[in-house]
Amino acid sequence: MNNTTKKETNNPFDIFIIGARKGFNIAINNLMPNVLMAYVIAQILNLLGLMDFLGIVFSPAMSIFNLPGVAITVLLTAWLSASAGTGVAVSLFAHQQLGITDITILAPAIFLMGSQLQYMGRLLGVADVPKRYWPLLMVTSILNAIIAMLVMRVIISL
Amino acid sequence: MSSNSDKSHKVPIKIGIKAYLSLIVAILFFSGLFLNVDGMKWLGAFDFTTLGGSFGTMQNPAKNTFVGEAGISAKAGFLFALSLVPTVMLALGVLEIFTHYGAIRAAHKLLTPLLKPVLGLPGLTGLALITDLQSTDAGAALTKELYDEKVIGQKELIIMGSWQYSGAGLINNYFAIGSALFAWLTVPVVIPLILMFVMKFVGAIFVRIALNTFYKKDFY
Repeated sequence: MNNTTKKETNNPFDIFIIGARKGFNIAINNLMPNVLMAYVIAQILNLLGLMDFLGIVFSPAMSIFNLPGVAITVLLTAWLSASAGTGVAVSLFAHQQLGITDITILAPAIFLMGSQLQYMGRLLGVADVPKRYWPLLMVTSILNAIIAMLVMRVIISL
Repeated sequence: MSSNSDKSHKVPIKIGIKAYLSLIVAILFFSGLFLNVDGMKWLGAFDFTTLGGSFGTMQNPAKNTFVGEAGISAKAGFLFALSLVPTVMLALGVLEIFTHYGAIRAAHKLLTPLLKPVLGLPGLTGLALITDLQSTDAGAALTKELYDEKVIGQKELIIMGSWQYSGAGLINNYFAIGSALFAWLTVPVVIPLILMFVMKFVGAIFVRIALNTFYKKDFY
């Protein structure tokens, strides 16, 4: 983002390198620490038996989206941070608690309701949206995520 | 970020055929349309997932990648995250090229006529909304500017806020973070992206309706 030489080159190979470098920075600075943290949190939840508990409690609600109950941990984490939510999804997949169709159903929801806590400050605060309407926007994002999961469920079954 | 948003605010918007071509190629590249077309393997050279490639396998090829099997916690997480780095680099490298050739500007131009009828927003707000697709912070800064300059009122500000808040930084976040999931999507990579883009509008329309009914008193 802060690469000022961006516009000076017209060579597509150079431009690719600039983007790939950004990708590397994001992967190292955002993705890897988040995935590592998510793996550790998932391990803690597993050792404490909380993962199974959440899975059982939320399985009726999640079954609406054709997801196992444990998928709720992805959504709850994504609400705090989309990258952490992605990390949890990846970790659950690695432990075979989520399958490929579950990941596909969850993918749009992770970003539609993702990082809301962070973006309250970075977006709503910066743009000066009056606080009175923040809950409305938050509920809207969650509704967006719910509708997206239902749509994905239908798309997958096609 | 602020210098970035200032710059994008002042650049005159010129959209040539190159920009539209770039947008079309971008959509095709990520659409998965060229993935595994029977008898035309060469089409894979124009497909994101194919170019993402795969790692070789370890002792038990059916189960093991270089990440290994049955790893747990921090060490497993680190090695796994390492395996995601090439996908992210490829996604952002290619995205940078499409952006350079004007795909984002073309998208802005196409979006503008939708804003008034669908969201009740002036066309000028299009840039702030499109900017949000790339950078949450730059989009928020541009929105604040429009409000300060009285181009939009409070109601429009809230509608813009709702469009930006759900799926903020969509394109960047999806390709940078979400690409970690791309390998397992059972639908083309572009489908969730389109769905999220559509849902941004659905949410904003919902908020517009709420402001016109439930919160009606606030604006008169």
